[in-house]
Amino acid sequence: MKKRNYTTVFLTAAILIMSCRIFAQDSMINPDDTLTTTVVKLREEVDILKRIKFSGYIQPQLQFSDSCGIATYAGGNFNANTDKRFMMRRARIKATYEQGLSQYVFQIDATEKGFSIKDLYAKFTEPWTKSASLTIGCMNRPFGYEIGYSSSQRESPERGRMSQIIFPGERDLGAMITFQLPKTSKFNFIKAEAGVYNGTGSGAVDFDYWKDVIARVRIDKATKSEKISYGIGFSYYNGGYRQGKKNVFSIANDSVGTIGYILNNDTTNYGKITKREYFGGDIQLNIDLPIGLTSLRGEYIQGNQPGTSSSTASPTSQPISDNYRRKFNGAYFYFIQNIIDSRFQLIAKYDWYDPNTEVDGDNIGKSVVSTGGSTFSKTGKQDIKYSTLGLGIAFRVDANVKITAYYDMVKNETSKNLSGFSQDIKDNVYTIRVQYKF
Amino acid sequence: MKRINLVTLIAIIATVTVAFTTGDTNIKIKGSDTVLPLSQKFAEVYMKKNPGSKITVVGGGSGVGFASFLDGTTDIAMASRKVKMSEKMKLQDAGKSYKEVIIAYDALSVIVNPKNKVSQLTREQLEGIFTGKITNWKDVGGADQKIIAYCRESSSGTYEFFKEHVMNNKNYGSTLLNMPATGAIVQSVSQTDGAIGYIGIAYLEKSVKDIKVSYDKGKTYVEATVANAKAKTYPITRPLYYYYLAKDENKIKPFITFILSNEGQKLAGDLGYVPLK
Repeated sequence: MKKRNYTTVFLTAAILIMSCRIFAQDSMINPDDTLTTTVVKLREEVDILKRIKFSGYIQPQLQFSDSCGIATYAGGNFNANTDKRFMMRRARIKATYEQGLSQYVFQIDATEKGFSIKDLYAKFTEPWTKSASLTIGCMNRPFGYEIGYSSSQRESPERGRMSQIIFPGERDLGAMITFQLPKTSKFNFIKAEAGVYNGTGSGAVDFDYWKDVIARVRIDKATKSEKISYGIGFSYYNGGYRQGKKNVFSIANDSVGTIGYILNNDTTNYGKITKREYFGGDIQLNIDLPIGLTSLRGEYIQGNQPGTSSSTASPTSQPISDNYRRKFNGAYFYFIQNIIDSRFQLIAKYDWYDPNTEVDGDNIGKSVVSTGGSTFSKTGKQDIKYSTLGLGIAFRVDANVKITAYYDMVKNETSKNLSGFSQDIKDNVYTIRVQYKF
Repeated sequence: MKRINLVTLIAIIATVTVAFTTGDTNIKIKGSDTVLPLSQKFAEVYMKKNPGSKITVVGGGSGVGFASFLDGTTDIAMASRKVKMSEKMKLQDAGKSYKEVIIAYDALSVIVNPKNKVSQLTREQLEGIFTGKITNWKDVGGADQKIIAYCRESSSGTYEFFKEHVMNNKNYGSTLLNMPATGAIVQSVSQTDGAIGYIGIAYLEKSVKDIKVSYDKGKTYVEATVANAKAKTYPITRPLYYYYLAKDENKIKPFITFILSNEGQKLAGDLGYVPLK
């Protein structure tokens, strides 16, 4: 007990002495000066912190498919024995550092499927007119509207099938110049972007010497009443990649008029560039109606897409199989209706992707005849056209949380000559997604 | 001992309950610098009448107000322009349903340095000056002196309104000086020979001279006064808005009711704004 008392006395004395010392020091400082200095220092620190911004979102979801193991563009294929699944569709964290006219962006995606870098770029704006900027790194390709439209904002759970096939991962490595006059200009509504890219997508190392060029021009305007806004854009893609084999197949009629692929196996084909060329146009219209905000969006793309015998997807590594050249087209249309000023939103989306516009219906998979030194091969499931009608409803719980229920009705082109495609495949998908965004 | 604890507990619960049921309001208002003095006055008088209420008012521009409204850091966005479609879409995306109220009208006054001989200008001359085509006061009936034109920053609703309604949506000239706030324009114009700028009439001071404006190519010139704006003879007049979330209606409504009352509108008139009634 005595020991405890001594300790208490000692500690009290020490605190008193220290307090006196602090008080003595404080009495020599003008409190106004101290406050001003502290405020200035804090403001400096806050200004530095304000340069860094964090944002992100997660999208856990539950999905039901019509049958087990379906191939789908509603979040990736289902495993062989699965027709329902929980998955973390996206989990993103984005860091942006902005100082003056420069910006650095880093975004990652970390889900049960793994970790990937989505955005990693620096952007510099010239200081004279502040109209032109240079972006270098891994970024969204400046093509069309849907590619650059954030998944956290998009009303349907996924982009259209065509967007996912011709621009897998949306991003690519390259350098882009953006030109847009400042907000003070009358012509600020026009934006032009042009860039040079690897063409292999963001998650791949380039495999050839050829670089792809992408350009886009768009306008965004609103009426004076701010009741209607609209946007129109045109995009162009000119690229290609090195052929890993000499065998090149193109669409032609055989001796009896059946459409198939004719082989060109000239040895000079090896190492040549096979052309990727797309033309696109997009339009957006938003109207503030008494029944709620209405949005209409559409985009059409057509062009030449080289692929393989089994896929029309843009390659992310050097293709080592024969080259198949196809003409394609595709489109999507969104109709979004917000219900008066409630938190509910109705969603309807229709999209199609025709990977080979030169063959359709029962001509797909039809046997071809190789005669007179010409080698033909028949078309196949990679030439099937798909269309998807999606219907959904979203409920915005608050600024951070959104719940979406969405049903994808997928319809494939049928052919009695193609095994497995004589009728529509059971591959509809129902998705319930909760999104948390900050 | 147990009894004391029980009494203490009841007292705490009672205090907390009373605190939550007295109807005390805490409202944050942010946005347009034009609306700022009006909101400050509304807040000051309202807080005196309702001692439990706390209203904080911060300027920054209409765009800044909407940005804060979107990220939930202000209860009311005050604006000298209507909410833009892009802002509406962001609010919709965030599940935020909002209400719009016109709280008063404002007339924009064109001001020059008091030494300037020019006292009236046509809309076309103003367009020429602010687009940078007219650069000398002698071209509009003044002395042989360079024109130094001031405008607000692009985030300001006043900037956009002036561009749309006076400059016929033409571009501001590249030599114009952008000022961060209305007060800065008043100060700069009062201290700079040959200066011209535009401000809400509530900001008019004796240190600057206001210009009569003609919208009929010089046939009639009208002075920027509350009376002329109310009579709709002064052409550069615009509504001022409050935006608040529908879910906050119970909290905001008493304040809005006060603003729209005769007393509130009289305050607006006294401050140099154009009352609704």
